[in-house]
Amino acid sequence: MKRSHLLIALVVFALSLLVPLVVETDYVLQILFRIYLFAALGLAWNLVGGYAGQLSLGHAAYFGAGAYGLALFSGKLGVSPWLAVLMGVVVALACALLIGGVSFRLRGPYFVLATIAFAEVLRLAAKNLPNVTGGDVGVQVPALFHGNVNRAFYWAAVLLTAVAFATTVAITRARFGYYLMAIREDEDTALSVGVGAAKTKLAALLVSAALTALAGALYGSLFLYVVPDQVLSIDVSNEIAIVAMLGGAGTVLGPLVGSVVLESASEIFKNVFKEAHLLIYGVLLVVVVLFLPEGIIGTLTAILRRRALFGGIKAGAKGVA
Amino acid sequence: MDLYASLQAVINGLLTGALYALVGMGLALIFGVMRIVNFAHGAFMMLGMYATYVLFTRTGISPYALFIVAGLVLFAVGYAIYYGLLRPIHGQSDFMQILLTLGIGLICTDGVLLVFGADYHQINIPLLGRNLHLGSHISLNAPWVVSFLIAVAVALALYLFVMRTMIGRAARAIAQNRYAAPLMGINVFRVQAISFAVGIAAAGIAGGLLLPVFYIYPQVGDQFTLKAFVMVVLGGMESIVGAALAGLLLGVVESLTSLYWGNEWALAVDFVIFLLVLSLRPSGIFGRQKA
Repeated sequence: MKRSHLLIALVVFALSLLVPLVVETDYVLQILFRIYLFAALGLAWNLVGGYAGQLSLGHAAYFGAGAYGLALFSGKLGVSPWLAVLMGVVVALACALLIGGVSFRLRGPYFVLATIAFAEVLRLAAKNLPNVTGGDVGVQVPALFHGNVNRAFYWAAVLLTAVAFATTVAITRARFGYYLMAIREDEDTALSVGVGAAKTKLAALLVSAALTALAGALYGSLFLYVVPDQVLSIDVSNEIAIVAMLGGAGTVLGPLVGSVVLESASEIFKNVFKEAHLLIYGVLLVVVVLFLPEGIIGTLTAILRRRALFGGIKAGAKGVA
Repeated sequence: MDLYASLQAVINGLLTGALYALVGMGLALIFGVMRIVNFAHGAFMMLGMYATYVLFTRTGISPYALFIVAGLVLFAVGYAIYYGLLRPIHGQSDFMQILLTLGIGLICTDGVLLVFGADYHQINIPLLGRNLHLGSHISLNAPWVVSFLIAVAVALALYLFVMRTMIGRAARAIAQNRYAAPLMGINVFRVQAISFAVGIAAAGIAGGLLLPVFYIYPQVGDQFTLKAFVMVVLGGMESIVGAALAGLLLGVVESLTSLYWGNEWALAVDFVIFLLVLSLRPSGIFGRQKA
């Protein structure tokens, strides 16, 4: 990312913070909240799925840990809400250590399957332990904000996205980021030149899990209620991955663009297809794989780069003639 | 522990397990042998179920004959999907196949949801509610027994297809060495297309056979996708027989879990076994340990 691009990003985030002063409709603010929330989730996923190339389809585990952590530590143990949020993050980190410890030894489809299986075990445990989690019925989540709730949650989501964005930019500029990309391109070669693949992947997953848990806590607290089939479901995992893949996995801007496109599309299709609105996710997945394997941002960058390259050659040829 | 209750649970588990086995064998052929990561496997099973359901409600013919039609329909669907969607991304990473098939699965599930609605249905056939008695303690539900017998026959046919036919031999040759196989005159794409279609037809037939004994709703296949992967991994990847044995094992484990811990834990136990096997013995329970 060039310095000028970063400046633009900074301006966009600053302007985003001003939006609630103009937009007062709760409905619009809630949609914008969702767009920013999933942008943050996509950015978090991108560290593992995009830069390190480890396709996790189990991020619902950390999302759910964040939401349930807030609900249970605060509701059952009486911890203050913001402290409970941090404890939820710690739970998510513990999950990440366990999941990463087992599944990072696996490659390709086995890794993907292991991440799904872990998230499913957590979902089933949350469903089947009513004494601890409230079971299928769900559990109340304390409010993190009072007063003008929609505005506050929107700001929180923008802030979280900005943090995730800054983290991503910092990582891509650091040695750590290059290690991740080396692992994605060829894990064996990365190992052979001394990149500690296991440690590096785990570190990326920990950062990713912490951000995802924060988003989960925000989401749970907005609705004041969580049920296992909502926050721990495979649909959440899929949505997070689709946001990043659609925008462009392994790019800084991809998850932001992906979230804007996916969440607006799904908002429109929710009204058309009602309960079958996941249809649009399926169609987008097929379209991305077949026509935009690099995602929107990846494909655009490739086109621009090609044009810059061949445009120059053409101009040069003309000059000679 | 009640001995008879346990025995009954084991028998019920084997009856369910045979249908699981059929789904698992289909995926063993697709994923284990052909290395196509098919995350839509359960959705195809669901399509087989709905195909049988629609034909049954329109014609009234027994599902025990209609499952053949379901198999043929799903074979055609599989063949078309291979050539239309999977072949264009041939040679790309596993992740692309995973995302593509995940998308196909979502389209199938939510397409059915759009057309048929989210309601649960159950069909009514004369056999329903009849029981066979073995001694005074063990009873077998008649529709399950019929489904079981047909599933065993289909599983046997699938085994013979893979082990005895030219296509099956070619598929195993590709699995052994995908670079040498085409040099021996094997048309890799055609063999992959047919194997993929046969694997999906197996899932579709299992769906048809499940119809008389199961509820039908659009998401019914979802849990079967992961279960099928569990079976293939437990079975040692390339082994069709291993996947079948793993299917029976899964049926029995679920049935015993339901008996002693409750139905709601059955799926969780599946996944925990899966994760343990993946981390401790990646070559599967029935697979050969690689040196």
